[in-house]
Amino acid sequence: MELFNLNHVSFSFPNTDQHVLKDISLSVNEGEFLVIGGASGSGKTTLLKLLKRELTPTGKLEGEILYKNKLIHEWGERQMVEQVGYVFQDPDNQIVMDEVMQEIVFGLENLGYSTFEMRKRVAEMVHFFGVEDLLSAKPSELSGGQKQLLNLLSVLLMKPRVLLLDEPTSQLDPVAAKELILMLERLNKETGMTIVLVEHRLEELYAVADRVVLMESGEVRYEGDSRQVIGALYADCATQFFPYLPAFARLYMEFEEMPIVSAIPLTVKECKQWIGRDEHEIVPVEAQLNQSKERWILEMDDVFFQYQKKAPFVLKSFTLRIPKGQFFAMVGGNGSGKTTALRASLGSIKPQRGKVYLNGQDMKKMKDSEWLGKIAYLPQNPRTYFVQQTIEEEMQSIGERLKLPDLTKRMHHILEAFDISHLRTRHPYDCSGGEVQKAALACILLGKPEMLFIDEPTKGMDPVSKKHLGELLYSLQQDGLTIFMVTHDIGFAASYAQRCAMMFDGEIAADGTPDELFKGNYFYTTAINRATRETKQPEVLTYEEAVATWAVRESI
Amino acid sequence: MGNGIQAIHPFVMFFYYSCLGFFAMFFNHPIFLLAGCLALIGVNLSHDGGQAMKQWTPLMMTMTVLIIVVNPLINSRGTHVWFDLFGKQVTLEVMLYGVVTAMSLLMILLLFVSLNIVLNGNKLLYIFARILPRTAFLIMMSIRFVPLLKRRLTEIQDVQRLKGMTMTQGTLRERAKSGMSMLQILLSWSLEEAVETADSMKARGYGSGTRCPYIPYRMTKSDKRWLSYLLVAFVICGTGGLLGYGKIIIYPELGTLHLSLLDWVVFACGMAVALFPVFVEGREQLKWNYSI
Repeated sequence: MELFNLNHVSFSFPNTDQHVLKDISLSVNEGEFLVIGGASGSGKTTLLKLLKRELTPTGKLEGEILYKNKLIHEWGERQMVEQVGYVFQDPDNQIVMDEVMQEIVFGLENLGYSTFEMRKRVAEMVHFFGVEDLLSAKPSELSGGQKQLLNLLSVLLMKPRVLLLDEPTSQLDPVAAKELILMLERLNKETGMTIVLVEHRLEELYAVADRVVLMESGEVRYEGDSRQVIGALYADCATQFFPYLPAFARLYMEFEEMPIVSAIPLTVKECKQWIGRDEHEIVPVEAQLNQSKERWILEMDDVFFQYQKKAPFVLKSFTLRIPKGQFFAMVGGNGSGKTTALRASLGSIKPQRGKVYLNGQDMKKMKDSEWLGKIAYLPQNPRTYFVQQTIEEEMQSIGERLKLPDLTKRMHHILEAFDISHLRTRHPYDCSGGEVQKAALACILLGKPEMLFIDEPTKGMDPVSKKHLGELLYSLQQDGLTIFMVTHDIGFAASYAQRCAMMFDGEIAADGTPDELFKGNYFYTTAINRATRETKQPEVLTYEEAVATWAVRESI
Repeated sequence: MGNGIQAIHPFVMFFYYSCLGFFAMFFNHPIFLLAGCLALIGVNLSHDGGQAMKQWTPLMMTMTVLIIVVNPLINSRGTHVWFDLFGKQVTLEVMLYGVVTAMSLLMILLLFVSLNIVLNGNKLLYIFARILPRTAFLIMMSIRFVPLLKRRLTEIQDVQRLKGMTMTQGTLRERAKSGMSMLQILLSWSLEEAVETADSMKARGYGSGTRCPYIPYRMTKSDKRWLSYLLVAFVICGTGGLLGYGKIIIYPELGTLHLSLLDWVVFACGMAVALFPVFVEGREQLKWNYSI
């Protein structure tokens, strides 16, 4: 049975001629796990919002949207609220109440259910999710993954027929993201709930999805079973979609001589079977300690830090040295103290014990104004950077503060280099996430800093923008910039960083090149590494590495 | 939800605090008030060993002393002259009135210290959700935003500090200016994000009908028993007070401080009310220690 039917739906926002969605015909079947992919700005979120009546954006809608063969507007308000659940991208913004219990019953309270019914549903679902111990917690104390689980729970209590999710994992670390997807898979399999998910990070989803829809500039380009879509992409040579495919599938399609659509590997297991297992002796890795004579730009010695007097130490004897000109990446799970370490190195927090030296100078003894312009920080949310109305004004004010010579020329040059000249008169809030990040980076680099600190730059980015960012950072490093990046994204760190460190329990647990650090791990590595370990092919970390090292078209 | 007094239904606790607040203003016999204060100190001790009370002690002491000292200086009613101070007559009545007022205020302060521990945020909101549902909901939402905005502001400070905008260094004018800019960022950012919060509320049917608040607390049998116990004791005290027991006449001339038998009955009932949390905790302790 079909739940949703979209017949020739087109949509445009007011005051523009541009169509966000163009003539889309699509149906969602009952009990199906449908995944919608595509670049940022391809209209996937708009499409999803059209399915939830309360969230329909204002604009011109053509065509018709049917829910259970009846126009979506002809249904009662209450029925649509209850039957269609919606989970948003940002875990924080959706939470309304100050206590977890209050938050999960929020929807039920709005619909006026009796306390008996609420208690019954809460008791059942909370048990299913196994979050009993969180009930009396404050939402602000939860981790991102827990918050997103709470949002899902809150929607599920209304017993929806269909669940719509808008990039629910984009703000989460890989482990939490996987947990959420597993939960969705379980819901789909055990309760038969229809799930429509919009996502960039499709890697694991291809194996879970019953059907995949790929969108490009407002149109549905490919639609069908995961393997069929991959096969069709390769048949059409639609290279713009290749970065969205799982790395195993790409390897298979490119290295297998006679690829068969039904045999495309989608999981680590299938990929290993395809390559063929081969026992390798596991050699414990010895990190090459190349104690170079280079100058350290950042030195942190035995840093201890706690947020409150009685709270546990977040940093414990944290020691880190970064030489000039290195691209250093620090990875680690939630709550391992990555961000705290970054803040300590920036001088935003003062460690209780230990010293932080920047360029050989003790950070504690320096005034803020002394290293103004020498170090730069690109935050997780680049919007926090902008004070002025337009990007151009922002650059001008920074230039004036740093007293830069020939400012206009330099501005022009950097805008050209970043390919964002067209954004100069725009308000930062009117740019997309990737654009605003580039603009912030351009502003930061105006003063020619020696060192750049970046916090989670790839959060919520589609693979193509990620690649652009990685290449940009790499070229900056080639020009002599030292980069200290904190990230969850192991694939990104492995592709672009020179040196990586893994943080665990307040200190650096291991430190080395990406190869030394990630190869051989079970979970703290890329999926492609897990799939290629102990196989007949050399172990690799990234798709690019595989392409470079594997003998092309060798029969496997 | 906790044990002992924390497990008692919020309505019962609310009734208890209302009773005590009423007593503090109703009775003015110094013995009654003194006993009330002592009882509340005991109650506070039973909550957390007096941790919260300790923070308030300096304020309470200063206030008590101030009232007792200042009252004779600005007031010279009464008939029993005690002594002359700067040409002003200090009467016994004025002194006693100061003591009574101070103790009455002290009792109310102690009551709020205890109320703060027992009826914290949600329980209080739950009580008001019945009377003022919209206001309670609004308060709940605003409380939620405090840690969120705080976190965002720290983030903004981290970023802007490296751009040369700080609130910790520079002249006052510069600090104020950068503070304003940061607040401006916080505001525009939060407004932007709040659109999604509003969407999330709409998606879950906010405003589609009358809200029916979830009641997390159950009135148990023991809650009902405690409530009737409090009610009976309170009614006795109330009628006693209306008949003039537990009260003294201060102005224009001090009446007798002598307590009659019926005064003592009212006193006992008052104490029965005031010490109710101590009984609850005590019973719990006994059960822990001596039951098999």
